[in-house]
Amino acid sequence: MAPEEMDDEQVQALKEKIKNMPPEELKEFHKKQCIFCQIISGKIQSKRVYEDDEALVILDINPANPGHMLIMPKEHYAIMPQIPEETIAHLFTVVKTLSNTALRSLGVQGSNVIVANGVAAGQKAQHFMIHLIPRKEEDGLEFTMPQKDHSENELEKTQQLLSLEGARKKQRSPEQQAPPSLPVPSSIKAPLPKTVPLKPQKKETQKEEKPSSKKDSGLDLDDIARVLGAK
Amino acid sequence: MSNENCILCQIVGNQVPAYVIYEDDIALGILDVNGAQLGHTFIIPKNHYPILEQVPDEEIGHLFNVANKISSALFEKMKIQGTNIYVTNGIPAGQRVAHFMINVIPRLENDGINLQWAPKQLGEEEMSTVELKLKDQAQTAVVSKQAKRPSKVVEHAVVSDDDEDYYAGHLNRIP
Repeated sequence: MAPEEMDDEQVQALKEKIKNMPPEELKEFHKKQCIFCQIISGKIQSKRVYEDDEALVILDINPANPGHMLIMPKEHYAIMPQIPEETIAHLFTVVKTLSNTALRSLGVQGSNVIVANGVAAGQKAQHFMIHLIPRKEEDGLEFTMPQKDHSENELEKTQQLLSLEGARKKQRSPEQQAPPSLPVPSSIKAPLPKTVPLKPQKKETQKEEKPSSKKDSGLDLDDIARVLGAK
Repeated sequence: MSNENCILCQIVGNQVPAYVIYEDDIALGILDVNGAQLGHTFIIPKNHYPILEQVPDEEIGHLFNVANKISSALFEKMKIQGTNIYVTNGIPAGQRVAHFMINVIPRLENDGINLQWAPKQLGEEEMSTVELKLKDQAQTAVVSKQAKRPSKVVEHAVVSDDDEDYYAGHLNRIP
């Protein structure tokens, strides 16, 4: 039943019910309402690109660019802080692998990874997801990130506010020179590490795996990295 | 593994000062002095890797967990309404520094930051072609699962320093 079909009393009763639900039951309730849980269970169709026991990757039906992917945990989590550490680690390892996949198969030269926590940040779904957007030169996509000048005083205060106990003892003092502003001069030339092949095999972690072919597409990650150093 | 010409490696090596808010053996969290908002932090691996694909899996997992913790700390300590975790990987994606970094950006209504997009209208055929290309390539890739840690450690969400209970406590709270 959609909310507008309920009268005020019913809405109130439902709100009350949700409020008093034990966490486990509440999670079940959210799960039933969640369109992405239905995609995961297969009730709603989607274009699945990658799947394992913890993660699902589908194509976004409203893509910022061709190949725009959504990486989701199969378990229902509304927000990032609820997710166990090992799941976060796995999901972003999947992101890395799929970014590599996009570079190799779609002829793109980069990618953006975006997570939105909270409505003000652009979060729209009640199911945690990571956006992976393949990028090309002049693809019409423009994200704006203003650069602001923050005073030393503001920065020092923020540093104190955010610093973690464990890190504090190792903290460096920002006195003497003003910290350099980013981005850095374009003159950097980075000697680059060797190309990383698409993942070494680990038998017990993956059910149906094919041996990864070394010569998959002739794409050299170093080329992409090298441009960064050269530009 | 560091690069003497890389400004971020110089920060890691303590040759250049910076507003460091987090540090462990693998990662460094630094306030961006020209951040989009006060509290804009970037998390970098101490080792020098220019792009995402070059960062080893163990470090990827750790770096994004640190990003998540810093995001939680921003919710906890600053009056903000959201956070973005944002990576620019490669020049067309907006990457400017040849050292992989994860941005954690505090968000407020009407803050001038735009990470939205107008959806591109792709035909069914194009969507299917893209799907197949990605799927084929993804099949050759193997995502390694990191060894599961004991759940106790996960509950307390300890980073890698021993004395971070202060921070871990915050993680159990949902912003």
